[in-house]
Amino acid sequence: MSAASLSHALPGLARRRRPLWIALAGAAALVVVLVLGVAAGSVAVAPADTLGILGSRLLGLDLARTWSAAAETIVIELRLPRVLTAMVVGLGLAVAGATFQGLLRNPLADPYVLGTASGAALGAAIAVVLPVRAVVLEFGLLHGLAFAGALGAVLLVYRLSRVGGLAPLTSLLLTGYAVGSLLAAGLAMAMFVSGAGLRQIFAYLLGGFDAASWLRLATATPLILVASVAILARARALNGLLLGEEAAAHLGVDVRRERAIMLALASLATAAAVAVSGLIGFVGLVVPHVVRLLVGPNARLVLPLSALLGASLMVVADLAARLLGDIPVGVVTAVVGAPFFLAILRRARAGYEL
Amino acid sequence: MIRLAGVTVAYRGRAVLSDLDLEIGAGERVALIGPNGAGKSTLLRVVAGIVPPLVGRVELGGQPVERLGRTAVARRLAVVPQGVTLPFAATVEEIVGLGRLPHEDPFRGHRPADRAAVAAAIERVGLGHLLGRDARELSLGERQLVLVALAVAQAAPVLLLDEPTVHLDLRHQVEVMELLADLNERDGTTILAVLHDLSLAAHFFGRLVALDRGRIVADGPPAEVLSPDLVQDVFGVAPGFVRLAAG
Amino acid sequence: MSSRLRLQLASLLVAVALGAAACSEVVPPASSEPPPPSPSSIVAPTADATPAAVTIVDDEGTTVVVPTRPERIVSLTPAATEILFAIGAGDRVVAKVDDITPYPPEADRLPIVATFEGVDVERIVGLEADLVIAGGLDFTPSDVVVQMRGLGIPVVVLYAAGVDDALRGIELIGEAAHEADAGRALAASMRAAIGELAGLVADAPRPRTFYEIDASNAIYTAPADSVYAEMLRLAGADPITTDASYVISLERLVAADPEVILLGDAAYGVTAEAVAARPGWSSMSAVAAGAIFAVDDVVITRPGPRLVDGLRALIAAIHPDVALPPG
Repeated sequence: MSAASLSHALPGLARRRRPLWIALAGAAALVVVLVLGVAAGSVAVAPADTLGILGSRLLGLDLARTWSAAAETIVIELRLPRVLTAMVVGLGLAVAGATFQGLLRNPLADPYVLGTASGAALGAAIAVVLPVRAVVLEFGLLHGLAFAGALGAVLLVYRLSRVGGLAPLTSLLLTGYAVGSLLAAGLAMAMFVSGAGLRQIFAYLLGGFDAASWLRLATATPLILVASVAILARARALNGLLLGEEAAAHLGVDVRRERAIMLALASLATAAAVAVSGLIGFVGLVVPHVVRLLVGPNARLVLPLSALLGASLMVVADLAARLLGDIPVGVVTAVVGAPFFLAILRRARAGYEL
Repeated sequence: MIRLAGVTVAYRGRAVLSDLDLEIGAGERVALIGPNGAGKSTLLRVVAGIVPPLVGRVELGGQPVERLGRTAVARRLAVVPQGVTLPFAATVEEIVGLGRLPHEDPFRGHRPADRAAVAAAIERVGLGHLLGRDARELSLGERQLVLVALAVAQAAPVLLLDEPTVHLDLRHQVEVMELLADLNERDGTTILAVLHDLSLAAHFFGRLVALDRGRIVADGPPAEVLSPDLVQDVFGVAPGFVRLAAG
Repeated sequence: MSSRLRLQLASLLVAVALGAAACSEVVPPASSEPPPPSPSSIVAPTADATPAAVTIVDDEGTTVVVPTRPERIVSLTPAATEILFAIGAGDRVVAKVDDITPYPPEADRLPIVATFEGVDVERIVGLEADLVIAGGLDFTPSDVVVQMRGLGIPVVVLYAAGVDDALRGIELIGEAAHEADAGRALAASMRAAIGELAGLVADAPRPRTFYEIDASNAIYTAPADSVYAEMLRLAGADPITTDASYVISLERLVAADPEVILLGDAAYGVTAEAVAARPGWSSMSAVAAGAIFAVDDVVITRPGPRLVDGLRALIAAIHPDVALPPG
């Protein structure tokens, strides 16, 4: 049963209201998932105490303190920033993924499609290999170079893709693949010479929220949120691109300008996410598809709902990773996301000529 | 309404359109005919402002088209392309709804007036029975009609069509032609359509412009344009049937 | 507000202020010379009601304040675990890092809060740790060190590149645990013992010695500036060394012709017979003379109290004719 016939099962008015219900459900799920995420960990904190800590510290309620100072530190200083970071990263990756899929008109695109992942990984590896240690604002050289590497890779891909006779979208995709491969080779070299630092590079590649802190959250969140809101403000252009660049131009979209702006914004969000939490895959790829199945391809709905779903999904993945013995988050998202991805591939094969 | 003066368009050193002069007044209904490679699609793109000419001026409603913003052009001019690809599943209404892009509120999207325009366009093109269907599952002809409905929803005073009847059966071909005639006569829409079917062109259009190798070789009523010599020269076909079509 | 909480807050503020100040500098690479041990690195106790606060500079150059006598110490390196127990602070250690060769046996009762995969900061906070000894060069991930310091826990990061570093590390841990005298005493006695042992073989002929770290794929031995080489030299050997990659080709090894082969990988089942049977190895003097000995890699290199035992084991293998004083 296709998505469209699903929606046809509901009368027109009900379908228009569906996005609102989904948004409310998504927001409620987010709150539930936040509390769950903060309640679980390697040190047992009674659920009543968890709620009490959250209530007294976040909502300012005057409650009797039945918990220890250590428990409060664990919940507020360790778990809460971790869960919030997971939310923001999940949000950013989902929005970036939806944007890249719309921009590149490719359902198989994800936030890392233009070499962002390889660039960030190479930056992180270089930081580990360099015999310099610098710490600014709790961000080590690793985070800074990962961020710079991610953005640098996209810039390189964009510049290189302008040369040549291919259509801009095809050129972007192919250049992204080529540059990504090149950077991955650089990464392999860095790993080869890294010696004892190999473990650190690997930890970064697998991704995770172990090192979350309020300061890192405060640095990454504005970047991701501002970029996401700015993309949402340009949802009209994303919608126009649905039928192709020429059709979009006929509909009044300044294709070159919008493409450059949205590429930059989505890459910014991805780079910030990747700098904070390493390379976590599948969220940016799968979440927009699930949302489109529910509400159609309208970017005005897909972007905010992807943000909600991506945030919740990342918190759940992190929770699952913690409960399954502290395995890397990237493994959880891959195990859950891969079957989804295969399902998407099967649908995409059905062809889409209009 | 549409004015091209001395327009030359080159691509990779080859002239696709050479020193073209064309004027189409408001409310006219013009068919563009010519063999493959004559430059018809390029001419449409030039009028739409997508392809800037090497030399010459392009004016829309008296204004140079490069001076107008893309949204302003989109409000004045709608295009039905030959075919598009769709990467994601979308219903017929969602695709036709894209026609409202030049008019819609950038933040709030479709307002009731937009939704009404979409519904009206779908009805007018005769696609009411396809509501809610995934556009990727439609037949070629139905998909082409969806694109026509999109352009109708755009509610622009000028309508450009690039081979709109290619995948349609005879009944739908006639329906589209009658729709164009209706738009032209009732709404006053200026229409410029690229057609490969000379008999359709001759029957439904009062003015034919023949393009050959980047130049306009004839411009006028069908009986005049479709002379035996021209058909022989431009299309390389014996003109035995032409009288029937023009009559 | 209890006085303990007030102290914790005060230490939090101080640690955060110091941490923020330290964090804005570019720290020099770990391979640079660590500052020599100096008694002046202990600050005199402050006069008022608060107990003596100890200020130390760790091996990364970070100034760490341990405000009160730590009662809940967490050791994140196996060497630190051994040292803490050796200086009498073992009963104040509440958790340790996973160790493939745990020592001493009394430490077996301790819960493990760090493994190769990572450090469980939550449990460390849950145990209300008031001092953490961590490993440098990212043995303990630097992210985790920053995180713990951000929560107000004093974290001392140590990295020993050689014997002197190890002894200084022992003194530093002693100071941090508020057992400065015990630490100094242990380091001093070890220094004396090492000196005595080294003196026994200082004038003896130095056999060319190859220390095998691993030979399952490529052959791994130590660089010239490593603790392996230093220990071998102290034990009266002429170590065959390689570059920073730790890899040596069989050709170079054969050309160097070791007179003694020490199997640091004996714990993984490598025997003298197996070594002698390796193709191409039979030409080495050590193989011909049967001078292939298994040694305990951990005791020889761990920068802890058993380093003296490691030196004894090396001398016993390299200079079997030398009579060792009772250990």
